[in-house]
Amino acid sequence: MGIFLQLANQSNLLASEMASSAMAESAGEGFGLNLDIFEANVVNLAIVIGILVYFGRGFLSSTLGNRSAAIEKALNEAEVKRAEMAKLLATQQEKLKSATAEAAGIVAKADGDAQKASQAILTAAAEEVARMKQESSANLDAEQAKILNELRVRIAELAMAKAESQIPARLNDASQQTLIDRSISLLGGQ
Amino acid sequence: MPLDIEMLNFLDSPNFVSLAALEVGQHFYWHIGSLKVHGQVFLATWFVMSVLIVASLLATRNIQQIPKGMQNLMEYAMDFIRELTRNQIGEKEYRPWVPFIGTLFLFIFVCNWSGALIPWKLIHLPEGELAAPTNDINTTVALSLLVSIAYFYAGFKKKGLGYFAKYVQPTPILLPIAVLEDFTKPLSLSFRLFGNILADELVVGVLVLLVPLFVPLPVMLLGLFTSAIQALVFATLAGAYIHEALEGHGDEHEEEHA
Repeated sequence: MGIFLQLANQSNLLASEMASSAMAESAGEGFGLNLDIFEANVVNLAIVIGILVYFGRGFLSSTLGNRSAAIEKALNEAEVKRAEMAKLLATQQEKLKSATAEAAGIVAKADGDAQKASQAILTAAAEEVARMKQESSANLDAEQAKILNELRVRIAELAMAKAESQIPARLNDASQQTLIDRSISLLGGQ
Repeated sequence: MPLDIEMLNFLDSPNFVSLAALEVGQHFYWHIGSLKVHGQVFLATWFVMSVLIVASLLATRNIQQIPKGMQNLMEYAMDFIRELTRNQIGEKEYRPWVPFIGTLFLFIFVCNWSGALIPWKLIHLPEGELAAPTNDINTTVALSLLVSIAYFYAGFKKKGLGYFAKYVQPTPILLPIAVLEDFTKPLSLSFRLFGNILADELVVGVLVLLVPLFVPLPVMLLGLFTSAIQALVFATLAGAYIHEALEGHGDEHEEEHA
């Protein structure tokens, strides 16, 4: 290492002289451009970058293209699925709406039926009541008539019996004579 | 270890033209108060930061549902980072740590690759030279201390002072080793990253110095690979340390699975 250092130091001096005389702008103090293409390793770097671009571009572009395509595909699939689901949702909602309407119809119809049925039952019941009332009143009248009839018959029988019982007491000769006399006087005994 | 070598064409003869210079341990010092900071590291770091910020802005400027271009690239990076974090920290706890691990990974990755890909030497500084910020030990130590703080924070936040139980959990005999681990973790993290990147740049530099054309190419490509791997390793280990702090040893683990 020591000898290297010595050599380096010597060459350093020499080279710095050479450099300062040859390329004043690059070897001096301060910032600047070093246009020595070999020292700056530009050729090799250009080749390396060229190799990198040549091989890297294909790999990178295919990888990135695949990635982008995969994302696009996934998005499209999701979009399609979403559309399908939206359609399904719409049809189901339609079904729901029609089912609701149907249910409402059924309820309305049932309401009407119930109303009608109750009306019919009420009417029938009222008719029945009226009929029964009428029947009972007819019965009552018939009964009354029958009883009246019976009473009449009985009164007649009683009157006949009483009259018959009085006949023997009233029908004697004296009274018949009186009656005949009166009748004769009435006819013109006057 | 103050290395201070400036190797200019060491075949020291006027016939040879100076081909390349290799500078290690020379820094473009800025004096801020009583501190001496390595300006070239700051410049390179600012560059890396601006690259990342611009990339993020470009990626999020016009967000589409189906990502294209920059957004797609950054989302891909994001997926990668999230996957990495989830693998290390686990499904239940990983989410809050994605930004931290992701920042570490992206920053180190872009630092390393900027060092390996950008002809920094075209820009001449008064002293020192621009390179990957991660080839300066200060950067890597800062990053690994951040990891230390992060995993301590994770442990204390989850378990409070019960976090210390993990030091004696399997057996108190291992207490010294457990304590030592807290020092070796940032040490190994920082030195691994720093060493790899610096070594790579030195190898490339020396090869360029010796044979300017074509011969350094394999090493440069290898360096590109190593750089990426080092970023991955750093982020993975940060995740693993945080996971360790969150999980602890022994019974709590069992309870979670019961």
